[in-house]
Amino acid sequence: MVNDVTNIAYLIVALPVLAFVLTLAFGKKLPSGGGYIPILAIALSCIISVMAFLQIRETGMPIEISSHWFAVLNVGIFIDPLASVMLLMVSFVSLLIHIYAIGYMAHDPAKPRYFAETALFTAAMLGVVLADNILQFFVAWELVGLCSYLLIGFWNHKPTAAAAGKKAFLTTRVGDVLFMAGIVILFFNMREHVLPHLSGQEDVYLLQFKTIFEHLGMIPSEQLTLITLLFFGGAVGKSGQFPLHVWLPDAMEGPTTVSALIHAATMVTAGVYLVARTFPMFIAAPDSLMVVAYVGGFTALFASTMGLVMNDIKRVLAFSTISQLGYMMLGLGMGAVIGAEAVGFAMFHLINHAFFKACLFLCAGSVIHSTGTNDLREMGGLFSKMKITGITMLFASLALAGIGIPFLKILGTPIGTSGFVSKDAIIVEGTYVFAHLSHNWIPFAFGIIAALLTAIYTFRLWFMAFTGKPRQERHPHESPFTMTGVLSVLAIFAMVFGMLTFLPFLEFVGHTYDHEEIHHLAGLGEYDIIDHHELHHIVGEANPIIFLLPVVVGVGGLLLAWVIYNRRWISVASIGNWKNPIFAVIARRYYQHEIFIELIALKFTYGVLALTAEFIDRRIVDGIIDAISDFFVAGADIVKKVQTGVVQNYATATVAGVALLGLILSFLSITGVI
Amino acid sequence: MLPISYFLIVSAIVFCIGVYGVMTLRSGIMIMMCVELMINSANVNLVAFSSHFGQMNGQVFALFCIALAAAEAAIGFAILMSIFRSNKNINIDNLNILRW
Repeated sequence: MVNDVTNIAYLIVALPVLAFVLTLAFGKKLPSGGGYIPILAIALSCIISVMAFLQIRETGMPIEISSHWFAVLNVGIFIDPLASVMLLMVSFVSLLIHIYAIGYMAHDPAKPRYFAETALFTAAMLGVVLADNILQFFVAWELVGLCSYLLIGFWNHKPTAAAAGKKAFLTTRVGDVLFMAGIVILFFNMREHVLPHLSGQEDVYLLQFKTIFEHLGMIPSEQLTLITLLFFGGAVGKSGQFPLHVWLPDAMEGPTTVSALIHAATMVTAGVYLVARTFPMFIAAPDSLMVVAYVGGFTALFASTMGLVMNDIKRVLAFSTISQLGYMMLGLGMGAVIGAEAVGFAMFHLINHAFFKACLFLCAGSVIHSTGTNDLREMGGLFSKMKITGITMLFASLALAGIGIPFLKILGTPIGTSGFVSKDAIIVEGTYVFAHLSHNWIPFAFGIIAALLTAIYTFRLWFMAFTGKPRQERHPHESPFTMTGVLSVLAIFAMVFGMLTFLPFLEFVGHTYDHEEIHHLAGLGEYDIIDHHELHHIVGEANPIIFLLPVVVGVGGLLLAWVIYNRRWISVASIGNWKNPIFAVIARRYYQHEIFIELIALKFTYGVLALTAEFIDRRIVDGIIDAISDFFVAGADIVKKVQTGVVQNYATATVAGVALLGLILSFLSITGVI
Repeated sequence: MLPISYFLIVSAIVFCIGVYGVMTLRSGIMIMMCVELMINSANVNLVAFSSHFGQMNGQVFALFCIALAAAEAAIGFAILMSIFRSNKNINIDNLNILRW
C-alpha cells in the first residue's frame, strides 16, 4: 500500500498532458469538442491526488521520487501536506470547471482548442505543485503563464482580448525575470557555499527544495534576503500583487470559465504557493517576509477600493481576487512572528478562496451566459429568473465577505462561511498577534479595512445583479444542469468547507515544515517567532473587540451595500459622480493607466530607454562597424587600380621586382652579411 | 680562345634588349620575338659555359631550349591568331579585360 501512490504519482501530471494531446489531435471529431477527455483525465488525476493525500495522512511521510537529470540537477516529484492540498484543490476545481465548460462553451466553434489548452494548463499547474526542485517549478510556472496567455486571448478575433493576453504575458514576464534571477543567484550561492560540504555524497542536487532547506544556514543572510525578494517578485507578477496587478482585471477578456479556473482559483495562487513552498527560505530572511506582508496588505486594501466602482461584473471579481491574494500574502508575511502556522492560515484561505471565487466567477458566467452582458448597470431583478444562480452566488458572496458567528466555537471550530473562518484566522491569529507582539498595527488595519470594502463591493454586485427592477429588456433564463450543478457543489463548499476542515487542515498543512526547523531558521535571521501554545495564549487573552471587528465590518459592509444598492436610501449618483474627487480617483483606477502606459511605458521606457538604446545601437555601435567597413572599401578602391589587366605592366613589375631583389642580394653580399 | 666574359656580355646585352622589348612594344609578334631573344641569350650562356668547362651538358641543354622555344613560338602564334580574329589587330595594349 505504501508504495502504491508513489509509483503512479507521475500520472497526476501525465494524464492531463495526454488529454491535451488527444483533444488537440482528435477533438474536432468527438462530441462536445473532445471536452470529455480532459474531464476523464482530470478526474483520474483528482482520484490519484486523493490517494496521495490519504497516504500522506496515514504515513506522515511525503511522497518523493527523484531521478538524475544532468550535472547537479534532477527532476522529481515531491508531495508533502502543502503540495497535497494544493493538488486536491487544483484538480478538483479544474474538474468542476471543465464540467461547467461543457455547458458554457457549447456554442463556441473552437471548443477543441479550448479544452486542449485548459487541459495543458491543468497539467502545468499540477506540475508546479508537484515539482521537487526550483528549476522544474520554474519550467511548469512558465508553462502556466503560456496557457494563461493563450486562454486570455482565446477569442483572438477580439482586439481587446488579444491585447489583454499580451498585457498579461508581458506583465507576468517582469515578475518571471526576477524569479529567474533569484534562481540563478540561489544556484551560485549553493555552488559556492554548499557544494563543498556535499562532495563525496551521491545524488547531490543543488536546486532540490530538500537540499536548499537543509543548508540554508550556509548561505549568507543578505544573499538569502535578495533571493527571497526576487522570488517574491515572481510571486507578485503571477499573483497580481501591487504593482504588477494591472494584468489581472484585463485578463477577464477570456471566457468566464478561464477567468474562474486560471485567474481566480488556480494560476494566481501559484505565487502564494511559491512563497509557501519556499517558506523556510523566507523565514530565514524575515526582512523579505515583512515585504511580503506589507505588499500583500496594501494590495488587499488597494484592490478592494477599485472593486467598489467597477461596473463590469467580472472586473469586480478580478479586483476581489487581487485583494484576496493580498490577504494570503499578508498571512504568509505574518510568518515572521507566528512561524510555520502562517503557511497553514494562508493555504487555508487559498483553498477556501478557490472554492468561493470559482463559484462567484461561474455564477457571473451563468449570468453573462443568460443576459448577454457584463455590465452590472444593465442587470437587475435576475433573482426571480435565475434562482439557483442567485442563491449559489449569495452563498459565495457571504463567504467572500466573511460572514459568520463570532465567539461561538463547536469543538474548537468557528462557525461561519469558509471565508469567515480563514480570513479571521489571518486577521486575528496573524495580524493581531503580530500587532500584539510588535505594536505595529498597520497590517491589522489593512486587513480590517479591506474586509469592510470587500463586503461592500461583494454585495453591491449581488444587489445590483439580482435585486431591484430589471434595467434592460432581456429574457434571462436559468442555465443548464452542467452549469448549475457545478455551482451548487461549489456553493456548498464555500459555505461549509471552512467549518468542516478548519482544525484538521491546519493540523495537516501546519506540519508541512518541521516547527523545530523553522524556529532554528528564524534564529538565523535573528527574529523570535512564537510557538503554537504562545499563539493560543495571545489569541485567548485578546480583547473581544478583535474577534468582533472582522464580522462587524463584514456585516456593516453588507448593510451599507443593502442601503445603497437595494433600498437606495442613499442615492448612488450622489456618491458615484465624477465631481467626487475620491470616486474620480478610484474610478480612474488611481490613474494606473496614465502612470503605467503613458508615463512608464511611453515616456520612460519608449521615450528615454528605447530611444537612447536605439541611438547607441544605430549611431554608435553600428556607426563604428560602418566606419571600419567604409575604410576598407575605400582603401580597396584605391589599391585595386594596380590590377590594370595589361600584361606588360605585370611584366614590368616582375622585372622591377627581380632587379630589386638582385640589387639587395648583391648589396648584402658586398657588405658581407651573407 | 676568347675569355668567357665576352660571351656573357653579349648575352646580357641581348637579354636586356629582349626584356626592354617585352616591356615596351605593342605588337604581339614583336613581343614574341623579344621573348625568343631572351631565350637565345640564355642559350648563348649555356654553350659558353659548356665549352669553358669542357663538358657537353650545357650544349645538350641548349638543344632542349631551342626545341622548347619552337614549341612556345607555335603556341604563342596560335594565340595571336585567335586574338587577331576577335580584335582585328594584335595590339597587346587593348587586351586589358582582366583588370579590376
